[in-house]
Amino acid sequence: MKEDLTVMMLSWEFPPRVIGGISPHVFFLSKNLVEIGINVHVVTCDFPEAPSHEVIDGVNVHRVDSYKNPSPDFASWVYLMNMNMQKEAANIAKKVNKKIDVFHSHDWLVATAGIGLKHVFRKPLLVTMHSTEIGRRDGLHTQTEKMIHETEAWLTYEAWKVICCSDYMVSHVGWAFGLPKDKLVMIPNGVKPQDNNKSAKKIQTNIRNKFALPDEKIVLFVGRLVYEKGVQILVNAAPKILEKVNCKFIIVGNGYMKEQLNDIVKSMNLDKKILFSGFIEEDMLLKLQKCADVSVVPSLFEPFGIVALEAMASGSPVVVSDTGGLSEIVDHDFTGVKVYPNNPESLAWGVTKVLLDNDYREKIRKNAYKKIREKYDWKKIALQTKQIYKSVLGEYSKSFWA
Amino acid sequence: MQVLIFSWEYPPRKIGQLAEYIDSLSKELVKNGINTNIITYHDFLTGTFEEKSGLKIVRISNPVRSHISFLTWILTLNQEIERAAANIIYQQKKKIELINVYDWHFIPAALTLKNAFEIPILYSIESLEDYRSQKSSQPYNMAIKSIERLGCYESDRISVKSEAIKEAIMNSYDVSEKKIEVFGLDLSSNFKGIKNLLNTIKRRKK
Repeated sequence: MKEDLTVMMLSWEFPPRVIGGISPHVFFLSKNLVEIGINVHVVTCDFPEAPSHEVIDGVNVHRVDSYKNPSPDFASWVYLMNMNMQKEAANIAKKVNKKIDVFHSHDWLVATAGIGLKHVFRKPLLVTMHSTEIGRRDGLHTQTEKMIHETEAWLTYEAWKVICCSDYMVSHVGWAFGLPKDKLVMIPNGVKPQDNNKSAKKIQTNIRNKFALPDEKIVLFVGRLVYEKGVQILVNAAPKILEKVNCKFIIVGNGYMKEQLNDIVKSMNLDKKILFSGFIEEDMLLKLQKCADVSVVPSLFEPFGIVALEAMASGSPVVVSDTGGLSEIVDHDFTGVKVYPNNPESLAWGVTKVLLDNDYREKIRKNAYKKIREKYDWKKIALQTKQIYKSVLGEYSKSFWA
Repeated sequence: MQVLIFSWEYPPRKIGQLAEYIDSLSKELVKNGINTNIITYHDFLTGTFEEKSGLKIVRISNPVRSHISFLTWILTLNQEIERAAANIIYQQKKKIELINVYDWHFIPAALTLKNAFEIPILYSIESLEDYRSQKSSQPYNMAIKSIERLGCYESDRISVKSEAIKEAIMNSYDVSEKKIEVFGLDLSSNFKGIKNLLNTIKRRKK
């Protein structure tokens, strides 16, 4: 088998186009694969003022005109975008110096392009399932949801291996599509550890003063204000926490529950203690996470829980609900605190414990930061991914397609 | 010489006149020594593969059963068209000289195959979305029209059966007159048109 390996990644988002978590995931994965000697071509949707072809940190990025077809609805747009992406990808795959060895799709949004390219070039297809329709919607209720679910099933069927970012997702995806266990692989999502330099202390104090009074501890929530993220549980826990510690709750993010939450907070007379900041730019958010005395992730449903990792990577201690991917990320009493999901008493207990016990807080903060560097390091994730590519190509070399 | 024909109807599946026409045309091609493969939709009236007097017919179905429109059904069906076409291309030693695609349905597959294998495309337009939808400008119809436009733009040749439809294509999709050939209505002139095209492709290769 040849040492040289060329991958074509298909993703509907890649920086500067950022819609959700797939964009940074594909960016860091591709970049780190290049660093360990793999040739990577990313084919993605276009974005205003981003060039149709460029090389970023060694990654070849190809952007496809994806809004030229009028579309009656989002799902039809996705399939039409795939038509254009596939056509252009075929052209690129034909022209690149090194033949493509593996196609790698991310989610159903690039399902049909990946499936088509697999058959046309007769190369293995891999897929990373970041989420599922049945999980997002908690069941399949409409014709569109069924169609997307079946497209996901088809994609996982056509894929040589299905990569998931947590053990929870491995079992969920296996259940949702009836996949054999040996087809599923767990490779975690990565996160970039933030530098902990002391010179930033002054900036931190400035940031802190913008959001809280000097004698207030900062309790931080970052996430969409939707039911499954559990922000309402934090609001309910607030009075119990305030009985013991003087703190400021900062809620970052938007969502359909915002107004309702605002009204509740006012009726509880807590509008001076709970601050809804709305969306915050990434730079500012990173600084704010560094200032936080505790970061809270009270989700009810969480396939992975990147927000907990990001908090840990910035050196903030975390309190999370014991569910989904969060259960795996945090070791209770060691890298964070796990509390009962959907239970304000339990959440209040966890937050209070972290805020009052300085030694405990320092311990979990340091352990978490260490674990981030060990397990969720992009370089390691790239190496694991390369191993999967190699083992798939080893199996492929014995197939009649080779 | 080898040809791939993509059509969403073929006997026993008859929706309009196209099925019968493809049937007669493919017989004529085979009779004249042109190796012909038809890829069409499998609606369980027959088996998935059939070979009769030199003509090969592959029928494919859609792995996604729930759909919100005819458009999403067609767009997902295209990957199976590609799979079937790729199977034929990889199995045969001789190169496919031409892909002849009928109407917009399998244009997406044809264009990917063209890019991957450098096979010329003949886009035979029987009807246009403007005729079917009374020039509707609803997003659904506009989406189909955008596929017709893409087909006109990226195919190597367009064939039609009348001057009227040629005129309509030129006006709707800004296609140059030189790209469109009027093969006429009868079978023998259509056969001749394809035969001439194949000869041109062959000469150009040499």
